[in-house]
Amino acid sequence: MPSPQSPPAGDRQVGADITHQHGTRTTLTITVCHACSARWFPPREVCSTCASDDVENIESEPQGVVYASTVVRVAPPGFQAPFVLAYIDISGVRVLAHSPSSDQALTPDTPVRLTVAPIARTAEGQLVSYAVEPLDGRDDTTTPTTGETR
Amino acid sequence: MKPVYVAGAAVHPFGKQPGLNAAELGYRAVRQLVEQTGITPDAVDVGYGGSSYGGSLLTQRVLQRVGVSGPPVYTVENACASGASAVHLGWQAVASGAADCVIAFGAENLSSFGGGTLPLTTNDIEIEQGMVMPAAYAMRAQRYLHDFGATADDLTAVSVKNRRNGAQNPRAHFQREISPQDVADSRAIADPLRLLHCCPNSDGAAAVLLCSEDFARQLDTPRVRVRGSVVRSGTFHTQFRDMTWPDITARTAKAAYEMAGLAPADLDLVELHDAFSIAELLHAEALGIAERGKAHQAVRNGEFDRDGRVAVSPSGGLISRGHPVGATGATQICEAYWQLTGQAGPLQVPGASVALTHVTGGGIFGVDNGACAMHILTAD
Ligand SMILES: [Zn+2]
Repeated sequence: MPSPQSPPAGDRQVGADITHQHGTRTTLTITVCHACSARWFPPREVCSTCASDDVENIESEPQGVVYASTVVRVAPPGFQAPFVLAYIDISGVRVLAHSPSSDQALTPDTPVRLTVAPIARTAEGQLVSYAVEPLDGRDDTTTPTTGETR
Repeated sequence: MKPVYVAGAAVHPFGKQPGLNAAELGYRAVRQLVEQTGITPDAVDVGYGGSSYGGSLLTQRVLQRVGVSGPPVYTVENACASGASAVHLGWQAVASGAADCVIAFGAENLSSFGGGTLPLTTNDIEIEQGMVMPAAYAMRAQRYLHDFGATADDLTAVSVKNRRNGAQNPRAHFQREISPQDVADSRAIADPLRLLHCCPNSDGAAAVLLCSEDFARQLDTPRVRVRGSVVRSGTFHTQFRDMTWPDITARTAKAAYEMAGLAPADLDLVELHDAFSIAELLHAEALGIAERGKAHQAVRNGEFDRDGRVAVSPSGGLISRGHPVGATGATQICEAYWQLTGQAGPLQVPGASVALTHVTGGGIFGVDNGACAMHILTAD
């Protein structure tokens, strides 16, 4: 019997092995290098900054903040336009994700939470992935990670 | 290092040419180069061809048609920087003394992919999310506008300038001026970018002759000196990065200026990688020809016009010329050669004596771009 996290038959999930759902809280696996402190998403066995294998996989925070975003209006094969993409800064890594509940680009610095949601339709069903949705700002108990690029 | 010269340049005009594959396009450019310079096939010590989609042994398939078969030849793939990477390797061969005469070219046919955005063929974590190059540049644009108070009209001003320049370039894919209204009326691609903020996918080829001083003296063609030739790869990481500052361009420029003993203020013209109008702003700043966050003002003030402080993309840039990926870097060097030898006709930048060419590209995750190639050329 499929667990609650498994997508229905016919659906395919991107990043299933690096996505974690704890009730409504969703996190991603990231890699932390103990030799140089670099952080990686997706996770890796060897640090691609210093080549050390003294690395550890941890779970990200469930929330992040938008660095930049766009509405893609000419879709690549396998996707249906329009869809919203955003770079999210979360737990020291930058992650590209859809924001399926949005119909316009997310403003930089918007707080978002990780979710799991359909991001495209396929011949067999839906393409499901980790994704984000803007926080409404009312019921947050966690302060989002702040981008530190500027 | 020995001095290296460009002593010939040839372009097969860019545009939609679905019936001509990369090898045929490359042949047409190289044949022109051979005729124009009068070199004989046996004089060519080594050949380099740049292409991203041209297939195996492209350089053999091109050069053997003009009698160059037997010497070492190589096909170079570095995404949008393929053609300029081929020129860089040719420069290395001459600078080291290993070669006196090198043909370097870039050739590409993109019509075979049909319409729409160029497919990213290297699957990775971002491409799995539906990433396309316009989306990557759209997000850089959104953040630039957010950080520096620029507007979508500033992006449009780049397209209008470069289309105005390209309207006089017989080698350009688009040879018609556009108005800001044309840009506003064009189809939305990835907010805030519209179709006329994006370069077209084109077919075309360009070739240059690189040679030593002794070899250049035997030719009747004018020559320019290669003062700097640098290739860099992107710095790979998945942490936060400032996407309004193309670090790969800044690092390549620093090395090129050092090699040339020249500074941004010395440049008369720049052919840079305006694959999207936002890219001209980002790269102009990383090249040091505009202050940080102020390139959009420089465009507005006419500082990058053909008769401005420093001409940026006087040939029309990728936005007018089009972007046959692997051919773009080589064609920039051809355009710079004609500028520095006073042969640029209606495109001529008055008194041009120092030129910089810049290409960067490659849609792989975790880097600004996969590869960047830069050349600084001076009138001899
Ligand atoms: Zn490390």
